[in-house]
Amino acid sequence: METTVILGAWVAAFLTLGIFSYLYKDNPFYKIAEHLFVGISAGYWISIFFWTQIQPNLFGRLWPSSEYSDSFWYSIYNGLGFLSSAVFPEGGIDKGHGLDPIYIIPLILGVMMLLSLIPKVNWFARWGIAYTVGMAAGLRAYGYLNSNVIGQIKGTAANLADPNLPFFSLTSPSTFNGIVILVGTITGLIYFYFSKEHKGVLGKASRIGIYFLMISFGASFGFAVMGRISLLIGRFVDLIKFSGSDYHHAPIWILVFMLIILGYGAFRDKGSNTTQSA
Amino acid sequence: MKGLQDFILKLGQIDRRWIFLAIAVVVFIPILNPIGMPIRATDTTKVVFDAIEDLPANSKVLVSVEYSPSTKPENHPMTISILRHLFKNDHKVFVTCLWPDGQFMAQEALEEVAVGEFNKIYGEDYVFLGFRPGNEAVVKGIVSNIRKLYTVDVHQTKVDEIPLMKDVNKFSDFDFLFSSSAGFPGTIEWVQYAADPTGVPMSSGVTSIQVNEVMPYVQSGQMKGVLAGMPGAAEYEALIGQKGFATSGMDAQSIAHLVIVLFIILGNLAFFVERQRSKKY
Repeated sequence: METTVILGAWVAAFLTLGIFSYLYKDNPFYKIAEHLFVGISAGYWISIFFWTQIQPNLFGRLWPSSEYSDSFWYSIYNGLGFLSSAVFPEGGIDKGHGLDPIYIIPLILGVMMLLSLIPKVNWFARWGIAYTVGMAAGLRAYGYLNSNVIGQIKGTAANLADPNLPFFSLTSPSTFNGIVILVGTITGLIYFYFSKEHKGVLGKASRIGIYFLMISFGASFGFAVMGRISLLIGRFVDLIKFSGSDYHHAPIWILVFMLIILGYGAFRDKGSNTTQSA
Repeated sequence: MKGLQDFILKLGQIDRRWIFLAIAVVVFIPILNPIGMPIRATDTTKVVFDAIEDLPANSKVLVSVEYSPSTKPENHPMTISILRHLFKNDHKVFVTCLWPDGQFMAQEALEEVAVGEFNKIYGEDYVFLGFRPGNEAVVKGIVSNIRKLYTVDVHQTKVDEIPLMKDVNKFSDFDFLFSSSAGFPGTIEWVQYAADPTGVPMSSGVTSIQVNEVMPYVQSGQMKGVLAGMPGAAEYEALIGQKGFATSGMDAQSIAHLVIVLFIILGNLAFFVERQRSKKY
């Protein structure tokens, strides 16, 4: 087996056990794993974002190889090429795009966002943020209205109007299930209606709404537990795999090492607590 | 009776680390010694299977991979099983990713299934378009003009030079979508911005924690079934007749659930005993 694979298994085992060690208490192994995760994730995301979007889709549209010439525009590009020939290769960027000058706007907005790092001109960042927020709000408004409001209203009402459905079925669509969905939706909405005091009929309906919500929270909790157990199974399967002789029993050695260090730490803490109380 | 109540109270006060240890033990043992508990497919899983089974041969199926290694035990077995089913039925597979880590998960799944098991030819039987940042804007981009968003595939080959990409210009050119999702952006964004506006049928495999969120879309018919967490993946493995990681994990999953239910009952009993005693004194 390749040394890099074995090394990867040792690192994976160390990080898994380091994170698990938090269940005992906060400790340096957990901190190492946590900080590595945060740092590497951030670096990985920046790298992937740059090489999948900014370089091919932004720079690739501003300086495509298909339009390469001796013009002033490409002399700027050649100047940038001195910074990095990987990002700005000689002869323009060949990612299948034509020249699209309108992409200068996202470039400027992107640079403005980076200016938030300089306190004197950090107000420039607001323009970029405003564009992002505005675009996302507009995009989401349509999606939610179409799928979550109209689509869901249709879904709630449809089953009751269908005469071909059986009256009762636990697992497939039925009139009874349709009634349950309808009652659950209406009483759930009534629970969140705060313009009138929840008394009388309104109070009773809102009470039924609470029961529906509680069942929903219970189901969410059950699914959350199931998800966490699945992830635990995944880590255990990997640890068992890495415990083999192919990987030089990585998790076993790391676990012994961590137990010794944590045990020594606990012993030392106990000693210092005893001295303090004396 | 008092002795039993004292015992329950004592159990209710044990250090939570003992509970962690108990869960670790009950998960660990069935992984080492599987029992082979029966797996029966639920209706939502069967609907996904039937939807893919009903597609005519050579259908164009978009598989979107949006999960990272953190949810690999739940999502990866689904992706593997779906790819097996699609390649077995001779469909053309197009893979995109809304999550950056999804690119590596998809790469691993394609190497295992497309290359390792079915000897499929890249560019003719499947295409790996890879990741593009932008969340729901990427979904919108795929819906309106996929070629504007993906000019090159994950190997930096121009999309125009890939034979399978001929006649694929927008989302409505696909016959089916399967989203293997662990959160945002994922299944919900595909429903909102792609499947609902275009009418292209879609199914999804989601993490357990997402099931409650996406189930309304299944109930209303906006999605054709859903694979719900590791059990969903195990059910799908049973339906295609090829057992995998999810099936092997189900014993541990079931036993762990029983123990957690036991802990919940004991915790509640301790709560009621304590409340009864505090009322008395």
